[in-house]
Amino acid sequence: MTLLLGALIIGLILSLLALGVLVSFRIFSMPDITTDGSITLGASIAAVLLVNEVNPALATLAGALGGAAAGAVTGIIHTKFKINSLLSGILVMTALYSVNLHVMGRSNVPLLGSSTLATRSEEFGRSLFGGESVGFFGWSVSSADAAMLLLSLIFVPIAGMALYAFFRTHLGTSMRATGDNPQMVRALGANVERNIILGLALSNGLVALSGALLAQYQGFADAQMGIGMIVWGLASVIIGEALTGTRSLGLTIIGTIMGSVLFRLLVAIALRWGLNPNDLKLITALFVFAALVFPGFLERLKRRRPTVS
Amino acid sequence: MLTVSGIRKTFHPGTINEVRALQGVDLTIEEGSFVIVLGMNGSGKSTLLNAVAGSFFVDEGKIEIAGRNVTAWPEHRRASLIGRVFQNPFSGTAPTMSIAENFALASRRGHVRGLSWALSPGLTRPLRDRIASLKMGLEDRLDNAIGSLSGGQRQALTLLMATWLKPDLLLLDEHTAALDPKSADQVITLSDEVIQRDKLTTLMVTHSMQQAVSLGDRVIMMHRGRVLHDIRGAEKQRLRPEDLLDRFDEIRRREQLDESAAAMLGDLYI
Ligand SMILES: Nc1ncnc2c1ncn2[C@@H]1O[C@H](COP(=O)(O)OP(=O)(O)OP(=O)(O)O)[C@@H](O)[C@H]1O
Ligand SMILES: [Mg+2]
Repeated sequence: MTLLLGALIIGLILSLLALGVLVSFRIFSMPDITTDGSITLGASIAAVLLVNEVNPALATLAGALGGAAAGAVTGIIHTKFKINSLLSGILVMTALYSVNLHVMGRSNVPLLGSSTLATRSEEFGRSLFGGESVGFFGWSVSSADAAMLLLSLIFVPIAGMALYAFFRTHLGTSMRATGDNPQMVRALGANVERNIILGLALSNGLVALSGALLAQYQGFADAQMGIGMIVWGLASVIIGEALTGTRSLGLTIIGTIMGSVLFRLLVAIALRWGLNPNDLKLITALFVFAALVFPGFLERLKRRRPTVS
Repeated sequence: MLTVSGIRKTFHPGTINEVRALQGVDLTIEEGSFVIVLGMNGSGKSTLLNAVAGSFFVDEGKIEIAGRNVTAWPEHRRASLIGRVFQNPFSGTAPTMSIAENFALASRRGHVRGLSWALSPGLTRPLRDRIASLKMGLEDRLDNAIGSLSGGQRQALTLLMATWLKPDLLLLDEHTAALDPKSADQVITLSDEVIQRDKLTTLMVTHSMQQAVSLGDRVIMMHRGRVLHDIRGAEKQRLRPEDLLDRFDEIRRREQLDESAAAMLGDLYI
């Protein structure tokens, strides 16, 4: 049960990363690998500030802003210097590896003994449930985990709704249209380059927020923690699309959050059944590959007709 | 309203693909004038409109719209003065977004886009009425993705979007060329209505002699990146399709002459 609870919490925290990937990959049609660097950047900024006893909420916010800045740099390299979007992301991701090591001063910062959002929610849990453990559908779970889950269940939907609301404003609408038809957006007087920079900043801000929260939940920040995270995000987005479809923005956002949680649960179960953790990234990559290829493949099969040319 | 003086544009200069698309165009269009642009394929009509809209910067010359020198303005900034409809029905709308959202985008042309709601009753109510007046049955489909509509419907909506806020200059580049004859007629009628009602200063590119004689108050004919003929006033009123065809024939004859002269010179000297 503790295992499932942990998977749920991490799934919810990583759903913010998945929402970031949704913004770059689906709304702007740019697979943005800056993600791998900015999740670590968010985690390292937050961890270093927490070790120095900064208020956890402020530390988390600072981590998110760091990610937003990294995304903006990718956007500027892509739009102002006309470098291919994938390459721009690779450049920033690579540079961030050094930046993160500098921020942390070493490759790993443990948060033992620091006051974090996780320790705060533990205290909150103990006072709320009045003890170290609490009954949960007949299971006994630690009140720390229960409180963490409760808070994630409140915070993540609020973040999703805020994102939805933003994309329904004039600015947000013009950003969505930028991914849809940049020529039209230009003809209607919006600045396509600025929209792309803002979009990548928003995307990586969400990713780094996810990283800052993850570091606090797992109790450390690590230089390697970002590797392959974009593929995790893609997998969540794709599962979400299978769950809710893509008919409306709201459904897509809900689907992405659900996709992240479901994916994390599936992984936890697979690991429990003896999946070698070393194979995890290989399997995730294969899954995303299959999900990207199969829809087009089925289309082609359907369209192929026995005609003579 | 629009003054273009001595603009030149060469694509891929200094390579074997060099194209001198505009070779010194001078043009002044008075406020409220509706100008038809004719010319053979590759004569530079689209390049002229793109140069005015700011899709690229010209190599030489000056462009003024509504008294402002916009030569160095980027495209999105010029859009505050310009409404545009493209030839391709896919170019003018954001396909996955709803009809209402597309108009929300158009309703902020030239304005700051802030954090207020894109869809407000202040927009959707007049929008419903305006779209109902098209008699295409689209007023109840404002929440449908605009990509699900036919090309003709999309061009009609793009025209309404381009003129939702009155533009100082309206640019139409063969905006009915991709439509079936019936839809093309509908969109042309709608264009003429909107242009007359709002007295819009308009540049419209077409290949239809019929449209050239029946619409607008001035015809310019382009050839090889220059304005070759400029027909206005009483002469435009009297204009018949045959007159325009004669002028095209004349261009064609001159072209052949040029070619045979080049062949002769080539034989003699090379
Ligand atoms: N972006 C571009 N890059 C390179 N060459 C271009 C570009 N745009 C136009 N040209 C070239 O400039 C010349 C003029 O093209 P333009 O599109 O203005 O012609 P047009 O009069 O609109 O013709 P049509 O009636 O076929 O639309 C053509 O030779 C074309 O190939
Ligand atoms: Mg053209």
